[in-house]
Amino acid sequence: MSQDTIVFSARKIVTMNPSRPSATHVAVREGRIVAVGSFDEIVGASGVRVDDRFKDKVLLPGFVEGHSHIMEGMMWSLPYVGAFDRRSPEGKLVKGLSDIDAIVARLQEAEAAMTDPEAPLFAWGFDPLHIGSVSLTRQDLDRVSTTRPIMVVHASFHISNVNTIVLQRAELDRTTNISGVVMGKDGEPSGEVQGIAARFRVFRVLGTNPLSGNLTADDVNRYAASSCIQGVTTITDLHNDLADLTIEVYRAASRRDDFSVRLVPAMASVSHSPEQGVEKIKALKASNNDKLHYGIVKLVVDGSIQGFTARLRWPGYHNGAPNGLWYIAPEELPSIVAAYHNAGIQLHIHTNGDEATEVALDAIEAAQIAKPLPDHRHTLQHCQMADAAQFKRMKSLGICVNLFSNHVYYWGDSHYDLTMGPERANRLDATGTALRTGVPFAIHSDAPVTPLSPLFTAWCAVNRISSSGRVLGKETEALTVEQALAAITINAAYTLKLDHIVGSIEAGKYADFAVLDEDPLEVTPEKLKDIAIWGTVVGGHVREAPRA
Amino acid sequence: MTAASSVKIPVTVIGGFLGAGKTTYLNHLLRTGSARYAVLVNDFGAVNVDVGLIAQHDGTTMTLTNGCVCCSIGGGFLDTLGRVLDDNIPFDHIIIEASGVGDPWRIAEIALVEPSLRLNAVIVVADASRIADLLVDARVGDTVRDQFDRCNLVLLNKVDLLNRTALDAARTTVAALRPDIQIIETTEHTLPTLPDGEVKATLRFAATAVDNRADHESAFRRWSYQRSGTFDGARLAAALAALPPQLLRLKGPCRIADDASPALLQMVGQDWALTPAPADMTAQDDIMLVGVGTDALPDAGALDAILDGALTPVSQTPPTTTDLNRRQATFIL
Ligand SMILES: [Zn+2]
Ligand SMILES: [Zn+2]
Repeated sequence: MSQDTIVFSARKIVTMNPSRPSATHVAVREGRIVAVGSFDEIVGASGVRVDDRFKDKVLLPGFVEGHSHIMEGMMWSLPYVGAFDRRSPEGKLVKGLSDIDAIVARLQEAEAAMTDPEAPLFAWGFDPLHIGSVSLTRQDLDRVSTTRPIMVVHASFHISNVNTIVLQRAELDRTTNISGVVMGKDGEPSGEVQGIAARFRVFRVLGTNPLSGNLTADDVNRYAASSCIQGVTTITDLHNDLADLTIEVYRAASRRDDFSVRLVPAMASVSHSPEQGVEKIKALKASNNDKLHYGIVKLVVDGSIQGFTARLRWPGYHNGAPNGLWYIAPEELPSIVAAYHNAGIQLHIHTNGDEATEVALDAIEAAQIAKPLPDHRHTLQHCQMADAAQFKRMKSLGICVNLFSNHVYYWGDSHYDLTMGPERANRLDATGTALRTGVPFAIHSDAPVTPLSPLFTAWCAVNRISSSGRVLGKETEALTVEQALAAITINAAYTLKLDHIVGSIEAGKYADFAVLDEDPLEVTPEKLKDIAIWGTVVGGHVREAPRA
Repeated sequence: MTAASSVKIPVTVIGGFLGAGKTTYLNHLLRTGSARYAVLVNDFGAVNVDVGLIAQHDGTTMTLTNGCVCCSIGGGFLDTLGRVLDDNIPFDHIIIEASGVGDPWRIAEIALVEPSLRLNAVIVVADASRIADLLVDARVGDTVRDQFDRCNLVLLNKVDLLNRTALDAARTTVAALRPDIQIIETTEHTLPTLPDGEVKATLRFAATAVDNRADHESAFRRWSYQRSGTFDGARLAAALAALPPQLLRLKGPCRIADDASPALLQMVGQDWALTPAPADMTAQDDIMLVGVGTDALPDAGALDAILDGALTPVSQTPPTTTDLNRRQATFIL
């Protein structure tokens, strides 16, 4: 072996390559894997240098997060006030907050640290559902400040709460008569605002919108740091207008040697006509480098199930709520799908409800009949309510699916009680059905909607337990640990058409590893999410996760 | 408060389902308007003004020689609108095209809370040749109906494609949704100029979609009629004639005795027709009719009894368990 080859030895290497499932040594040269095997096979008498820093660790292929958003990197510039613990990009365990007093205290702390008295304080992650459905009123936020504008964005990202000074500046009061300004018992606005009109008005008086500001290098670096902490070496940004400025930030970040994640942005179809979109993707693909992979396009067909905006087939929502919203008209979808499909571009189609899934299946079927595209791998994203018949259609049409397993934990109880009812909630995010049908599938977090952590996502798919402890469809839909690991590595890579270069530890692929303290195949399945992650290796560069 | 609030810019929102003619109308306004408009559109490619009219074009904003600008909304509607409001010279009028599946009222509300704006009109453009079908469409019917909820003018467009009977039927259907609304019949050559008015929010309504829909449903009454079995052709004609005038329309698949293939019944006012059901039409029952009437529509029981009289007598097979379950499920959820 040549001089510049390094051999990493480990307690165990779980390769996710079925023809060589485990090993102890991996040789790396020029950022790629030269060979995987035993000491004898790899080192033998060659005298090649062995780096044994991982001798007590377990190496897996770097995890592939097939559906998350750069907003995860943007949000961590703001204080987090959600119900569950999260890990910050600095590696700090940020505790979940279980009541309004705790939220107010964290905001007071953040407020005290601010120097400019006029600057608005934004926070994110407020999750009333998981703290007893309490509301966060303007009076609560006034305890933080009566002079500084404060806005707290809900975990759903669709609703916000503001303090009284914001309402005053926005001239929203008891006479305001629009749907998105919620009134309190006293007849005055409660501080809860939602919808396009209220948002427009509030952001206008605040002078800034933290959710739509220009992307910065810091945001991208935070995203990469969070990836490293979670063992992720390939990550998507699954809905982006890809404005010139964003493209430049991604280009600069991905060219840095120390940039520790491969980025896969998906162009938002809504930001371009299909003709422009096809041209743009072609041009962007030409600028790809080893850590930046343009080429996929995202379509959003409906809303979310827990927000009652997903489109459901009969019998609809369990609690009788009216059907949800189309974001693309069913009759328009086939022409958009065909335009990209005919250009050979892979589509990632958000469909939460089963009626949206049906419309997407119809559109892909029509495109395939008109112009067959072998190995298109169009992927349905979320696809939480699909039944066996829809999975069978996916199989025959060559469609992949990326299921939202974290939903079982975070919204499984709501789905059981309110949105879907017991039968359909039990087959929510039907990984077992996908396996039985032979549909290639991944599982995802949709970070920042739920925390970025593929091991946690795998834990959800294996244990299928809700946050209240209710087990949902475990006998029929749960994965084994091994199957779940495939869904966060090689199979996720497959849905991104990157499985020839990442997703398993085998000769020829990038040397991308997740470095774990324990072997996921040996811990009890209930402990899968608790395995400590030491860091990652990306293209042979070793990166220890930040710890704070 | 602000200097701008003394001169409020009128806002008009144009909604309507895909293909109704929203962009045609915008093109018409851009070409013929004498005032300085800012027009916000969803899809830039669809705007079609003479090249000679374009003074400048930078990808997302097109400036016309008559001073109007046309901005594509793309992903950033709020940013785009913010830039329009911040323009050095205030525009005379802001015209916003809602998405084909969006609710124009949600956008119109901006003009109710932004002090520098006032809401001039919410216009829904409807394709006269399709609107009756769209309103009862299984997938988009609710979306299309919601668009009419709070508009204050309907352009019933493409009327040149229909004969008078069909046109009256389309008109009646829209009027049933909003009896109080002005409907103007248009073709692509007879589009009106912008109305001049002011819309104020009148109804206090809760911030949940659920309540919003409930209040919309109360504007008219629905009746659905589901049976397995067939109608007797002759008795059906008599039964339909016996239905009360408060029933504005009735539509759905059904089966006629001795006829192998399913039929589609469509009735508007007193006129009705049976045509072969489209191949892609699927129904859970042999007969599945949906009717819409005024809020004075008699009880479902009375209406059911009229149509039951037209059913072909069947050898008394009791309903199967699945039939029963399905019926119960219809009412529980
Ligand atoms: Zn999504
Ligand atoms: Zn997403």
